[in-house]
Amino acid sequence: MESAAESDIRGSIKDYILAEFLPGENPDSLSDDTPLITGGILDSIATVKLIVFLEESFGVRIEPHEMNADFLNFLPDIASLVEERRRQA
Amino acid sequence: MDFSLSAEQRRLQREIAAFARGELNADAAERDRAQLFPRELWLRCGELRLQGLMIPEIYGGGGLDAVSSTLALEALGHGCEDGGLSFSICAHLLACVVPIWKHGTEEQKRRYLPGMTKGSLIAANAMSEPASGSDAFALTTRAESRESGYVLNGTKTFCSNGPVADVIVTYAATDPAKAYHGGITAFIVPRDTDGLRTGRPFHKLGLRSSQMSEVVFENAWVPADAVLGGVGGGSSVFAQSMDWERACLGAVHIGTMQRLLDLVVTRARTRRPSGEPVGKQQGVSHPVADMKVRLEAARLLVYRAASRLDTARDISMDAAIAKLFVSEALVATAQDAVRVFGADAAIEGHAAERALRDAIASTLYSGTSEIQRNIIARWLGL
Repeated sequence: MESAAESDIRGSIKDYILAEFLPGENPDSLSDDTPLITGGILDSIATVKLIVFLEESFGVRIEPHEMNADFLNFLPDIASLVEERRRQA
Repeated sequence: MDFSLSAEQRRLQREIAAFARGELNADAAERDRAQLFPRELWLRCGELRLQGLMIPEIYGGGGLDAVSSTLALEALGHGCEDGGLSFSICAHLLACVVPIWKHGTEEQKRRYLPGMTKGSLIAANAMSEPASGSDAFALTTRAESRESGYVLNGTKTFCSNGPVADVIVTYAATDPAKAYHGGITAFIVPRDTDGLRTGRPFHKLGLRSSQMSEVVFENAWVPADAVLGGVGGGSSVFAQSMDWERACLGAVHIGTMQRLLDLVVTRARTRRPSGEPVGKQQGVSHPVADMKVRLEAARLLVYRAASRLDTARDISMDAAIAKLFVSEALVATAQDAVRVFGADAAIEGHAAERALRDAIASTLYSGTSEIQRNIIARWLGL
């Protein structure tokens, strides 16, 4: 079950992705089920920008082997990764 | 930002520039003409750890921070008239040594870095492919898991140092469907690997003493410990190496621009075909002034990008800005130098003629100017 902290993180990430990569889009078009990588929203540079955002906003470190669809394809997965890293810190 | 140099940094620059002027320039024009890689001079550079400036001393490197390493490369570009040799050092250091330092296992670092930093091992980066062009991650080279290792198949092209390399750092698709996002893996492949061969050296416009060729993998098996940076981590390995290359190779360029400016100022002050120095004519003095402006702007961009290499998570936009501006400034500066020298510079082997031929490729390698503009635009959200 998603924690309150994880929910807040997911909201921040969603706001960032909407502002940076989907400007002008209806916010409802980005849901928890929207595939970010396999759906083409996050290309190579967009992925790096997202990683920099996560690391600077949440004080976590995302490893190179985690920059893929297994970890970053859906909003809840990204939020879980960030929350897990924050607990480990 | 304060980029005033310490006494130690100034000493480093003086020593490297003096070394380059004293030991690397004899026969530089002849090597360029004959397209000869100067292995003996390469090893002399290794004695100064030019091939391992920023690598920790425990691995045989110079242990310098990124800015000091940049200053050292600037001094190399200033003193060394063999642009091909400087380029070979940078290709080896920035696209091969740095990735192993940053992403290698302890065993890989101890196995490769001591030889690479002193020059006894020469490395080549093999990323570009005949069909993938600037879209580097659209590669077709495959690495299939087999017998506790990987079998590589594919052809790489434009591999600087390829004909003389002992070690190849290459990239292959381990999961083609994932592509950039976890589907690319970096490998360290020794030259004597069965199934690895290099093509004949290309005949190039410039940087001719730096040899370049294809590298072909035909069922080349490598053990699992040849993986660099983890399976699927190749995109990050390559991206970080490009940050270093785009920032630090620009340092050699600003050294070259300083050398060309020195030559041109001397020419403009001493040549007197009509009694007074040609530098008194605005047709000469204004291009020289432009050379100075480009040099100082380029220097600041390179220093700024380098200053972030040791601390920032990603400097790809800073590196792209520096690479774009410095490479185009280098070409413009070399063209101005040719104009000031006039017909003399139209003769093969003249310093300005060689510098112009060497400069052209700087807007092509490490991503063309158009690719740098794409990167900058994407970071701006376009």
